Amino acid sequence: MVQANLAHQPKDKTELARPQPVQVKARTPLSEFWRKFKKQKMALVAGSFVLALMLIALVGPYIAPYSSKEFDYESILAGPSLHHWMGTDAYGRDIFSRVLEGTRISLFVGLFSVLFGALGGTILGIIAGFYGKWIDSVIMRICDVLFAFPGILLAIGIIAILGPGLSNVIIAVSIFSVPIFARIVRSSTLSVKATLYVEATKSLGAKNSRLIWKHIFPGTVSSIIVYFTMRIGTSILTAASLSFLGLGAQPPTPEWGAMLSSGRDYLNTAPHVVFYPGMAIFVTVLAFNLLGDGLRDALDPKIKD
Amino acid sequence: MFKKSFLSFLAVVFMVSILLAGCSSNQPSGGEEGQSNVKTKEIKKEGKDITIAVAENFISMDPHDTNDTLSYSAQKTMLEGLLGFDKEMKVIPVLAESYKASTNAKVFTFKLKHGIKFHDGTPLNAEAVKVNIDRLADPNNNLKRHSLFEMVEKTEAIDEYTVKVTLKKPFGAMINNFAHPAAMMISPKALKKYDKEVARHPVGTGPYVFKEWKPGDYLKVEKNATYWQKDLPKLDSITFKPVPENGSRVAMLQTGEADFIYPVPTEQAKAINGKKGIVVENDPSIVVRYMSMNTMKKPFSEKKVRQAMNYAVNKEAFMKVVMQGYADKMDSVIAPETQFYSAQKTYDFNIEKAKKLLKEAGYENGFTAKIWGSNTSSAQKAMEFLQQQLSQVNIKLKIEPMEAGTMSEKIWSVDDPKKANIELYYGGWSPSTGDADWGVRPLLGGKDAFPPKSYNTAYFDNGKSNELLNQALQTADPKVREEAYAKLQTLLWEEAPWVFLSVDHTMLGKREYLKGVTLLPDGSLTVTDGEIVQ
Repeated sequence: MVQANLAHQPKDKTELARPQPVQVKARTPLSEFWRKFKKQKMALVAGSFVLALMLIALVGPYIAPYSSKEFDYESILAGPSLHHWMGTDAYGRDIFSRVLEGTRISLFVGLFSVLFGALGGTILGIIAGFYGKWIDSVIMRICDVLFAFPGILLAIGIIAILGPGLSNVIIAVSIFSVPIFARIVRSSTLSVKATLYVEATKSLGAKNSRLIWKHIFPGTVSSIIVYFTMRIGTSILTAASLSFLGLGAQPPTPEWGAMLSSGRDYLNTAPHVVFYPGMAIFVTVLAFNLLGDGLRDALDPKIKD
Repeated sequence: MFKKSFLSFLAVVFMVSILLAGCSSNQPSGGEEGQSNVKTKEIKKEGKDITIAVAENFISMDPHDTNDTLSYSAQKTMLEGLLGFDKEMKVIPVLAESYKASTNAKVFTFKLKHGIKFHDGTPLNAEAVKVNIDRLADPNNNLKRHSLFEMVEKTEAIDEYTVKVTLKKPFGAMINNFAHPAAMMISPKALKKYDKEVARHPVGTGPYVFKEWKPGDYLKVEKNATYWQKDLPKLDSITFKPVPENGSRVAMLQTGEADFIYPVPTEQAKAINGKKGIVVENDPSIVVRYMSMNTMKKPFSEKKVRQAMNYAVNKEAFMKVVMQGYADKMDSVIAPETQFYSAQKTYDFNIEKAKKLLKEAGYENGFTAKIWGSNTSSAQKAMEFLQQQLSQVNIKLKIEPMEAGTMSEKIWSVDDPKKANIELYYGGWSPSTGDADWGVRPLLGGKDAFPPKSYNTAYFDNGKSNELLNQALQTADPKVREEAYAKLQTLLWEEAPWVFLSVDHTMLGKREYLKGVTLLPDGSLTVTDGEIVQ
């Protein structure tokens, strides 16, 4: 009886406590992130815009009313109208269709150049931060050298060696993204490395590869994600600048920067030729930056809600 | 709150769109009238110093060692030749009083005007002329314009004011070579003093005296108070400023920072003409636009392919889209204002015919080729246009725009013509002698004109055309020469080493008060009669 009672009591307690976990949900990192992120209306709008852009990038060429190459010499430099929502350019091509198709190019270049940059930078940063000593010095001094160049100048230099073209723009932008990621990842590696749980894992005899992959790298991910997003905006801008200078996309590619470049001769006479591609660049870069800001606020544990 | 600001942002974008739509559709009719009504006060010019904005940097001030028309424009304010050109590219005597050519086109005699002095006080006499011609004729000097005078055997000073030039072989176009700005006279004293550095210290007989040149920044010339022509010059000084960006050049004219600009970008010519005291003038030039095809390479070695490409390009559309209507139809390898021009039957736009010719040549499914050209926005526009046109007959062009340095390396540092990478090249040519010879020989004159020696980017070497070219040079008799050039032009048109595109217009923009400054058909500037009239 007593035994039964004893056995029953804790059971009762658990029964009483049962509703508790339902009320205070166990927060996974993802839901915690989402809870913080959705509070930021600006970032939310920017995020959905970015999603929309990605959708356009995927289906853009199929929903565009005209082909980006379709010329019509009868209606050159026509202003916005029902037929041509954003007007036509110097060859009578539909600017709306070209801007749509350009979305894919810009996002592709932005995404991949940062991806490669982040990849290289993260590897270098973790190596530098984890092993320290001379490896750290060598990597960081190389980064300093790269930092000494203004981004666009470095990119122009690289293009000068590789030759113009979109794929080379991706390489150029990746290269100058590497040191930035390397530095950020190195500093978070250093702080994560000094934490107790890493120390503990180390004393338990974990191998370096396990330490890095399972314990240190996850600790650096949040800063990489934030910077990754912010960086996409800059990369799109740089790629557009390079194309504007004639070093990136070659005609007739409907790249936004290239469209600006060829349209600048008509700035006085037909401003719509540069207005819409310019707007596209502006809004896209803004969206990525706002999204990055929001991500930072949501992922930074130091910021209390 | 954010939603609100985003909505208002959208609204602004929408409104701007509507505004732009309104602007562009009204442009031809309402826009201009509205502007001229608002014409406020007249723009006045103070002083007699003018600024001329040009598109590129000056390269050299040594006419004997210059091959760009722009440098000549500046040089012509300071230097003069025995002969020159009037506004129709007809040869006129300048420093020479009169000239005579022997009928076999071997001996040329010049009588000089009396009492002309160089800026440094050296008298212009037969001896001074001899020094200049000798300098040009000597291959050891490595001058860029040696080619115009390589046939000179000797130059003699007969007396103080008579010069006799004897050639090694007959050269019928020699008078025009003397009128070319390359034959402008430099003070012998300055030549001795500065030697190669004379390119930075030009001393001539012209209406303006060299003052200062900061390459890339500006070049300034001042009035020559003791100029030999009475009452000239009428301006105190001229400052040339290189401004490569089209928009900036136009803005300089609009704000009054420049009194004269050239070229005016064709895109903006209509928009600025007649407003705020600005006048845009355009006249037919002798500058031809073409796309050369490497005739040593397949498939361009096939005449039918070359002709097909000529049929496949709509020249009317080229003039409209690329040149904004500021161009004329090209109907021979040289422009109508070039001496000995004769019109040919044009290749009218005809896709069917082009396809048929391609089929006959075995290129029914088209081919891929790369086109080279300058990286200026107008050249890029032209290349993109050609790409669109040729895509209609399945010829796919890959556009490779290059900056000047890269281009000269790629085109003009080729040793073996067979190894030349060039396929298609978009270019233009201004024959500054105004003569058919200089309009054809450097570009299509057979092996002697292959790069790096000259500009035969088509690597065109046709026995019959070479023979006609030579034949035309055997005499100074215009009738005989005309006949040979007529045959030559028919032959070249038929062979079609180029896709013939258009003849440029010279485009100048100036303030209303500036008179007498104008462009010659070769695209070079004359300022001798320049004055300010208010």
